[in-house]
Amino acid sequence: MADDVISVKDLVKVYDDVRAVDGITFAVEKGEVFAFLGPNGAGKTTTVEIIETIRDATSGEVSILGMDVKKNRTEILKRIGVLPQEFSSFDRLTVEETLKYYAALFCTDCDINKLIDLVNLEEHRKKLYINLSGGLKQRVGIAVSLVNDPEIIFLDEPTTGLDPRARHDVWEVIKGLKKEGKTIFLTTHYMEEAEVLADYIAIISKGKIIAYGTTTELIDKHFKTVKVTIKGGTEGVGSLAEKMGMPTQGRDNGNITIEASGNEQIVEFLNALKANNISYLSMDIRKPNLEELFLVLTGEALIDKRVTQ
Amino acid sequence: MNVKRVIANLVVHLKQFSREKSTIFFVLAFPILLMLLFGFIFSDVGSSVGTLYIQDLDGGAYSQGLVGAFNGTGVFDVTMVDTNISPDQYYADNNIDILLVIPAGYSDSIYMKLLDPASPEANLTILYDQSNTNTQTKISIVGSVIDGMNKELSGSVNYIGVDLQGQQSDEFKFIDFFAPGIIAMSVMSSSLFGTVGMNTELRQKGILRKLATTPLTRAEWLLSNILYQMFMSLLSTVCILAVGMGMFGLRPHINIYMFVFILLCVFSFAGIGMLITRFVKEAESAQAAANAVMFPMMFLSGTFFQLEMMPDFLQTLARFLPLYYVNEGLRAAMISLDYSIILESALVIGTFGTVVFMLGVMLTSWKEN
Ligand SMILES: Nc1ncnc2c1ncn2[C@@H]1O[C@H](COP(=O)(O)OP(=O)(O)O)[C@@H](O)[C@H]1O
Ligand SMILES: [Mg+2]
Repeated sequence: MADDVISVKDLVKVYDDVRAVDGITFAVEKGEVFAFLGPNGAGKTTTVEIIETIRDATSGEVSILGMDVKKNRTEILKRIGVLPQEFSSFDRLTVEETLKYYAALFCTDCDINKLIDLVNLEEHRKKLYINLSGGLKQRVGIAVSLVNDPEIIFLDEPTTGLDPRARHDVWEVIKGLKKEGKTIFLTTHYMEEAEVLADYIAIISKGKIIAYGTTTELIDKHFKTVKVTIKGGTEGVGSLAEKMGMPTQGRDNGNITIEASGNEQIVEFLNALKANNISYLSMDIRKPNLEELFLVLTGEALIDKRVTQ
Repeated sequence: MNVKRVIANLVVHLKQFSREKSTIFFVLAFPILLMLLFGFIFSDVGSSVGTLYIQDLDGGAYSQGLVGAFNGTGVFDVTMVDTNISPDQYYADNNIDILLVIPAGYSDSIYMKLLDPASPEANLTILYDQSNTNTQTKISIVGSVIDGMNKELSGSVNYIGVDLQGQQSDEFKFIDFFAPGIIAMSVMSSSLFGTVGMNTELRQKGILRKLATTPLTRAEWLLSNILYQMFMSLLSTVCILAVGMGMFGLRPHINIYMFVFILLCVFSFAGIGMLITRFVKEAESAQAAANAVMFPMMFLSGTFFQLEMMPDFLQTLARFLPLYYVNEGLRAAMISLDYSIILESALVIGTFGTVVFMLGVMLTSWKEN
């Protein structure tokens, strides 16, 4: 398509004994936030780094901004910005110096002040990198990825390891970039992150794309139901739920999880509990997470518990 | 090759270095401590202080008066030398640092001078070790004693002249021997460990991966690293020379050859460091590999011991170690000025350094596999 800035066709990457990327095909359109969602080891980093020209594919075709990654490395690097996974920089440079250094590598006269402003680091500009918190470090990394005013920005797990507060701050920065109309390729293993930021999501597992679509499509399809866990409920919770046509799971220690089709059904259910004089200790409502989606899509539970947040 | 990028990198390395107090300490303290340690263990300060060898070929009244005057200073422990041996022979055979020769006819010359001020001076000859500061001190004391004698004799006219004959000792003092060795070793260790340490640290932190996504080329990166290592090597060389010259009477020749050997040493060992980090990705193993390269070099290539003291097979082995040629070359450049050794060593280490560095450049790449 004319508007595709990244196009990947039948991409395969084999390490010694691992098929890390196993024949994937997708495209990213200009100006969209594209999220690559998947657990650790799914092949996200391998894929982005092949697109960024810093790893070689085993087979398949990858083009970015209309150029073949195998042939136009120098030209491509000038026009993309990269926040690598687990970004880190020189400990004893200040924020300002770090940005100037990377700008010098691109030989551009970029406006450092504007970048500092964009990632909201004004009060930290004279601080040494080593003295910054994890969230600030990531914001420096995002600013660094912008020194050459790139057309496409790759953010590989930009919020992994951050506390919720810092994560939200990074999200704000990414939303700012989105407003500027940049194309963003985001990888993450947080469902919520993809949901908040992305226009389009591809879910990757074991080197294969197992689901994809616009964010709303995917959520409507797979994340519409709501899970309600009732703890310490008295007799009859399960049978009441089943009577109302809601599937139940995990009846142990007096805990029971009920799947509701939406918020209205939850309200109905809670009213029914009251009407039937059923009491309980606590109640927990949440959307299904990536792990549960994987269970549905692949029939396999994820081994990595980190994915469940 | 873009100079702006090379400079940007160099500046980053220098900033990182200058802001890390512990690195500054270790980079500078290590060579200084080694110099102090070996300087104090091996320096012969004290062993010959005060001994003045005199050969009195005259045996007349004035010569005895002069010997008496030297004894009278209390500074010298005067030892008389057998008059049947040639002074040069005695000087060379006995490993002494100063020999005052009173020629036959000395007393007569003084008489003549007293009678006729126009007659020639009575000449003394002093053989001494030029390269030893301790000897320089002795010379100046001897000079002032002779001045005193002159004044006593006449008030103004010099009755006694001195013919100073500086001797280049071919038996170097230990400081002359080990200072170049310590420079070679520090340059080797700072280039090797500096390169290995920087590369593994930056790889672990993912900085190399980030750099791979910028237009910085591998060659620019390596060049800036080498320049940085050269700076560090010159810094430690300056420290070593300062300690050696300031405290142990080291008087090296500081010339272009010395810098050539330091530069070639940086290239060789930074190159080895690059190769190690190319093949050993894990930080601790890379350190271990660097140690495995460094220790045999340190002990077997004549840094601390003269190779002649070692068994034959070790002497042969030493000739296969690059550091041997840096040691030999630096010693020749700084002390003996033996140009054939300078040339031969420069050729060997120059070839080695070029090959290793080229391999390092060719085999390392930004890309992960
Ligand atoms: N350099 C490498 N050598 C060998 N195996 C690798 C390498 N990089 C990644 N892998 C393997 O490939 C798979 C995918 O890894 P990766 O692309 O990093 O996944 P993700 O970024 O989704 O966590 C994993 O099984 C990982 O162990
Ligand atoms: Mg990854």
